[in-house]
Amino acid sequence: MAKKAQQGAGARPAGKRPNVVNSAKRGGPPRGFWYALIAIGVIGVAALSWQATQSGPKATAIDPTLPPLKAQGYVMGNPAAPVEVIEFADFECPGCGQFSALTEPDIRVRLVNTGKIRMRFMDFPLPMHRNTMDAHLAAACANEQGKFWEMHDAIFQTQDRWNGEATSKPRGPLGDLAKSLNLDMAKYNTCMDAETHRRQVMANQAEGDRRQVTQTPTFIIGAQKIPGALPFDAFNKLVEAAIKAAPAAVPTAAAAPADTGKKP
Amino acid sequence: MLVALVALAGLFVALYLTLYKLGYIGTLACAVGSCEKVQTSRWATFIGFPVGAWGVAYYFGVLVVAMVGLHPSLSERISVSQLLVGMTGTGVVFSLWLTYLELFVIDAICMWCVISAILAALLFVLAWLDLRDTRALASAVALEAADELRGTGYGRNIRNTSEVSIRAIRSEE
Repeated sequence: MAKKAQQGAGARPAGKRPNVVNSAKRGGPPRGFWYALIAIGVIGVAALSWQATQSGPKATAIDPTLPPLKAQGYVMGNPAAPVEVIEFADFECPGCGQFSALTEPDIRVRLVNTGKIRMRFMDFPLPMHRNTMDAHLAAACANEQGKFWEMHDAIFQTQDRWNGEATSKPRGPLGDLAKSLNLDMAKYNTCMDAETHRRQVMANQAEGDRRQVTQTPTFIIGAQKIPGALPFDAFNKLVEAAIKAAPAAVPTAAAAPADTGKKP
Repeated sequence: MLVALVALAGLFVALYLTLYKLGYIGTLACAVGSCEKVQTSRWATFIGFPVGAWGVAYYFGVLVVAMVGLHPSLSERISVSQLLVGMTGTGVVFSLWLTYLELFVIDAICMWCVISAILAALLFVLAWLDLRDTRALASAVALEAADELRGTGYGRNIRNTSEVSIRAIRSEE
């Protein structure tokens, strides 16, 4: 340290302690210390509040020349709804689980059931999640029996039962979910064992790659791409903007009218 | 002194990580090889609280001890310096464990977690230097007091008297 305690002759005012030992530790911190402390405090508070106001996810425009979706994903809602919202999601991603639990119920009641939008779910299994592929396959197999969305919800709600941190054999707990939805288990098991839908999952993911999706969940609302789990109000605002833009919209990636089939 | 400054900086880093984890800052999402993977892993929670919140408590504790220790009545106490070394030593060990998890178990690096680990290491070094200073000061004070005792005959100006000084005299005799 710069100022070591050292001995030296100093003035000795009467009645005060001998001021022989000089040390940075004596006489309280210098003024510069308080300045530095205040500076760090101000910078810290400013940086945090700046971060907090930046929290809104950034929407980017989708390249309008992209061809419409070839892979179809899974659709919920009125095929004639003015706006389609595409969600690229990974079943093992906690952010997607959070969106499914917190925001999606509102979206279904207030936007899908009222005919404002239809939701299209696209598989986007991330390589870092060990068990996510099995979950996507399980949802596809449930879709064969017309229960994709039921399975979708159940899978998200029970992430901690089958995810990579919980087990290395996710097909057990996923099968339990299928059973609880009263699926034809013989059919389901055949579907899972043969991995019938792996290519379809990959095709859905490829659509995301084509749209430069790099994280999940990512939404495409009208012609805008927004990464991150959105709270309902932010989601609704984007939907309203897309509805306003819809009539004038040239064919975009989102509005693919021929692409409303329920079966993938 | 420097310990307090670094602890305040660390406090903000930990606060950021906690607010992020709780969803008040940024959006929770999954992406490959980034903070999200670390923050959404099961190691991001420790005994029921986000690891970042433990960091907030830790940096806050160090900040309080360091600030209180600046008071002239405490600034020469070895016990305060020792407490800081103990606290920051614990912080370094915990940070090392977290960094190990990031590198070898979670397999992803979170930049602000690494910055926090660096600050924790820096705090330990500073606390250790501070302890060394305090010890040097104490022995200097003891020698000074010994001089006083010898020269002025148990002079009234002696501040840090007693045992240390007497021990110093004895060691000279």
